[in-house]
Amino acid sequence: MRKSLAGTRIREQRRKVGMTQKALAKASDISASYLNLIEHNRRAVAGRVLLGIARALDIPAARLADGVESALMGDLHEAAAHGTEGQAEIGAIEEMIGRFPGWAHLLTTLYRKTRDQEAAIAALSDRLTHDPFLAESLHGMLSNITAIRSTANILTNIKDIDPAQQSRFHAIIHEESRRLSDAAQALTNYFDHATDQNSGTATPEEELDGFLSRNNYCFPQIDDPESAVTLADIIANDPNLKNREARVLVAETLAIYQRDALQMPLKEFAKSAAEVAYDPSNLARLFSTDLPAVFRRLSHLNRPGSPAPPMGLIVVNAAGHALVRRPLPDFALPRHGNACARWPLFQAFSRPERPIAALLELPNQQRFICLATAYPTGSAGFGESLEYQASMLLIPQQHNSIIESWLPPTGSAQQIGTTCRICPRADCQTRAEPQILALESAR
Amino acid sequence: MSKRVLIVEDEPNIIESLSFLLGREGLEVHAETDGAKAMARLAEIQPELVILDVMLPNRSGFDILRDIQAADSPMPKVLMLTAKGQNRDRQMAEEIGVDLFMTKPFSNAEIVANIRVLLEK
Repeated sequence: MRKSLAGTRIREQRRKVGMTQKALAKASDISASYLNLIEHNRRAVAGRVLLGIARALDIPAARLADGVESALMGDLHEAAAHGTEGQAEIGAIEEMIGRFPGWAHLLTTLYRKTRDQEAAIAALSDRLTHDPFLAESLHGMLSNITAIRSTANILTNIKDIDPAQQSRFHAIIHEESRRLSDAAQALTNYFDHATDQNSGTATPEEELDGFLSRNNYCFPQIDDPESAVTLADIIANDPNLKNREARVLVAETLAIYQRDALQMPLKEFAKSAAEVAYDPSNLARLFSTDLPAVFRRLSHLNRPGSPAPPMGLIVVNAAGHALVRRPLPDFALPRHGNACARWPLFQAFSRPERPIAALLELPNQQRFICLATAYPTGSAGFGESLEYQASMLLIPQQHNSIIESWLPPTGSAQQIGTTCRICPRADCQTRAEPQILALESAR
Repeated sequence: MSKRVLIVEDEPNIIESLSFLLGREGLEVHAETDGAKAMARLAEIQPELVILDVMLPNRSGFDILRDIQAADSPMPKVLMLTAKGQNRDRQMAEEIGVDLFMTKPFSNAEIVANIRVLLEK
């Protein structure tokens, strides 16, 4: 159980104003020995005694009371767990908050910045490595340059070219120069758009992610059977959806949401989900649907006023390309196929239609319950092969009590990451790419 | 009889300049822009050398290279071209087994010299 820190703060404040323990005890109308116990956090302090001490120290009682540091404490624990050196004195966190609140705040601020920057690095690395637009543009430009260079070299170094051929080569240089110029212009526009702080998006997938995030991954207009709002209205009313491909992606995503909403109407689904403790198998039976559809619907349940725990979701095809992403604040989901190979999501492909339950632990020691399943996306005729997708639902472990009644044994926590580029697990046997930040062993 | 070369490349302007250069070397040059049709053209022409782009419509150069190796017909020399110039592509080409790997943009003198060497082997 967490100790009260009020005593530590009283001691620090007393020393700051230069009072002896005896003098403060007298001014607060308590015994010096009792104050001594309070200052060493061996007796709780509240009510009249706390008010008396606060008055004697000329400080608002709220600044001495407990409860203000819970978030700070949580952040410091997380920072200590994230640190790969493993040398932080966990047991001294409470003492540090009490004695050095400024340093504690600074440390958590720096930790949050580091965490955000790691996520940004992952996103940028993701984009540079896998962005199809960039890869296609660079490939096209190099082809244009090859044609120009080769043709110009022929025209410069070979004298006996017949006039018709010579004229064709000139036309090639003209045409390829124009294409190169267009490609350079498109690339410039792309980077201008990518750095637009207002939208923060560049690719259609990023615009889709931004759209879903702005709507908190739920659409009451679609969930409300009385609503006259159409999918086209929702898309048209979002000024941030700028390119056509993004609008197509959004339309496809909303169509799936609408299909799920018809099959699993929100009110009934939320009620049933709470009754069966969010058990996906049970819900699939109740609503005569499959697990992937229930996973999708569950990932939309956590919204203001709902008792449902937050649930993240990722759906990938057999090549590992993310088709659906509903990230959680502490569990980033890479956009392109470079996620951690240890995710049960990928193991599910080796045993289709046999759901997996597992406990996962990220390098920062955050734990998540994971439910994963792979399933065919259609049916195959004789001689045809099936195509598979896999879905993984994630629930933060602190909500375990809600789902533990039906959750099968998950065994010990599996050590995973999000993506190799920012994963600090230096000894990971499945590492596919070097870490961008220095590895633990290299420090 | 002149030696036959098949260029499998989706950029017609690169085909035009390569065809001109190799024609001046006394080679019989053929071209195909569609990856899916490359094997049929190969069987028809039976070239001594294939110049193969990695990124092609419908089928990648790597897939075509694997098919060339698996085919019963005599194995032509293969020169692979890629606009990406990534180590990954080079590594994959070497693993499958390619005679030479060049990146775009290439120099005319270098590609012609390399083709001469390949065809003399």
